[in-house]
Amino acid sequence: MHCSGTCCLRKFRRIHCRCHYYFHYYYQHYQRDYYYAARHGIGTINNKSSKFSPAGKIRQGFLIFNHRYSQMKRSGASIVIEALCRNRVETVFGYPGGAVLPIYDELYKNAHRINHVLCAHEQNAAHAADGFARVSGKPGVVIATSGPGATNLVTGIANAYLDSVPLVAITGNVAVPLLGRDSFQEVDITGITQGIVKHNFAVSDVRELSGMLDAAFEIAASGRPGPVLVDIPKSIQTDMCDEADFIRQEIFFNHPVPPDVTEAVKLIKSAERPLIYSGGGVVAAGASEELRDLARWISAPVTFSMMGLTALPADEMLNLGMCGMHGSQSSAQAFSKCDLIIALGVRFSDRATGNTGKYQEGKKIIHVDIDSAEIGKNTAADVELCGDVKKVLQQLLQHLPRLNHPEWEKYCRDAKKLDHHPMDDKLTPFSLLRTVAAYCTPDTVIATDVGQHQMWTMQYFPFQTPRTLLTSGGLGTMGFGLGAAIGGCIANDRKRTVLFTGDGSFGMSLQELATAVSQALPLTIVIFNNGVLGMVRQWQTMFYEKHYSSTTLQRKTDFAALARAFGAKGKKITSIKELERTLYNSAPDVPTVLDCQLDMDEFVLPMIPPGGSVQDLITRRN
Amino acid sequence: MERFIVELTVANHCGVLNRITGLYAKLKYNIDSLTVNETTDPALSVMRIVSRGDAAIQCRMTRQLRKLFDVKTVVLLNNSTL
Repeated sequence: MHCSGTCCLRKFRRIHCRCHYYFHYYYQHYQRDYYYAARHGIGTINNKSSKFSPAGKIRQGFLIFNHRYSQMKRSGASIVIEALCRNRVETVFGYPGGAVLPIYDELYKNAHRINHVLCAHEQNAAHAADGFARVSGKPGVVIATSGPGATNLVTGIANAYLDSVPLVAITGNVAVPLLGRDSFQEVDITGITQGIVKHNFAVSDVRELSGMLDAAFEIAASGRPGPVLVDIPKSIQTDMCDEADFIRQEIFFNHPVPPDVTEAVKLIKSAERPLIYSGGGVVAAGASEELRDLARWISAPVTFSMMGLTALPADEMLNLGMCGMHGSQSSAQAFSKCDLIIALGVRFSDRATGNTGKYQEGKKIIHVDIDSAEIGKNTAADVELCGDVKKVLQQLLQHLPRLNHPEWEKYCRDAKKLDHHPMDDKLTPFSLLRTVAAYCTPDTVIATDVGQHQMWTMQYFPFQTPRTLLTSGGLGTMGFGLGAAIGGCIANDRKRTVLFTGDGSFGMSLQELATAVSQALPLTIVIFNNGVLGMVRQWQTMFYEKHYSSTTLQRKTDFAALARAFGAKGKKITSIKELERTLYNSAPDVPTVLDCQLDMDEFVLPMIPPGGSVQDLITRRN
Repeated sequence: MERFIVELTVANHCGVLNRITGLYAKLKYNIDSLTVNETTDPALSVMRIVSRGDAAIQCRMTRQLRKLFDVKTVVLLNNSTL
């Protein structure tokens, strides 16, 4: 469902750059030409700043967002709807309130163009938009009212920021004359979110609105994706504006120019034990094919950060699984032995590296990232390549000869045997995950919450397809899963979606079951119920002398009955057989909650203790 | 620690200064002095920010500043470039 096209043909848009070029674009096919212009950078400028930073060869220009429809007056709220349609938004998530009433009135009138999914809480609405964006690759949109509605979005926005997910958050605010007077439900949401957004806009004039919304979508999706917030006071939503009076928005974009790969090629050729460390950037850039080709071409095993895990199928020969604190033993061994790390779209998070000093010892690093500020932030790189990882990989593949490292490959393949786990009949995390995996198809979207169950999913679930994993990596947001599963399910044509969650995490967002029921979504919610906050308990066992401070829940929640109360299906699961039976009998249009009873003292292993290195790897319980 | 100046051309509207000083605060760098002037083009202003740090900090700062969408150009002025 998108804009009918008759108005598209009348659209007029001008993009120009004052630097060297002056462009006029008359659009017949808005989206294609417009994105072409945006992606390739409009105009170039040899500004003085470029010589100060090796990764900073920046092609600079700015886009001017100035959209015009026919000559007619529109309200601010109507401009919002037009901007959403123009940016091909079909689904928005949100929660209404006083300060967004005009927008909701327009949503009511435009229900045939935009599907609004009403959530139970704004935070989960933001997570749903986030999950939607992760699956579809397009910006997710969330709408919330002023004050508490806006502040409830904060966790969701921060989560999208740390995982580089394109998200456009639209908040209402009190009318312009009431701003800054501590009015009812007024907060300075642009101030609050400043540190956790890619950019935010506070609209102060209805004439700016259209351009700002276009800019918001462009910023959210271009380069390294991220969240953008647009704060629209209520009076601006009702103000009328002639489309000829729209004010242009000037946004400065810094597009990286394709970097020179000669140095990187030299380094890869001279390396004996190269290891590819691949991250969320590879998934975001859609570069999994290039990644697989490079790995095979230069005979380098691949290990992943959590965000990058789905880029290669789990059964791919050179896939060593996730690295880092709870990464596979094979990836830890490969890291300790390798002499070159080819880092693709990663930010060397502390959870992935541990002690950065020891991490880098005796290794060269090639760091590829679209965000120049990431390169050299956590670890110094020997070769810095700032650019789109897909294009850089294509260049590398062009310039590299076929390389063979049979001994190194054999070493990694042998190490991979260490990750082998026996299947058993008892309800253990491994057997549970593998049973559910057998029930899933390669394109089933898997969402997780945060904690032990999340790490077990990363370790044991055989992911096959990019964009099928929704998990909170950077922020580690407990309660992320259910919202994300709802968004992901809707983005994936409402197909079967699985959520792995813990009894702690599920307790943080379970009210969203109401949304899953009202939307009739086929969610399978697998609760790893061990009666404790497992990950924290594990740390207390290992590092705090078994002082189980506030981690034993002692709740008497009956999740199966709770699910039924929400109108979903629920069942308590105590064995693998029971799990299988229930899975294959789940209803196609109702969420199913499977309350799986697990032992509270299961550990996530292997584990590199915080701040430790690969040498400190713990593989079994004392 | 070496003193360095970052000269920025930025959009001239409310909230821009907040964004830039917010970035310094987020990265925990102190600003020693700061000037902001409107340019001949009223849509732009020039900001000069003096702070202290080694080459790595200077590089990190300029790269982070360049990411801001209100910032048009970033020029680093330090002992080696002045």
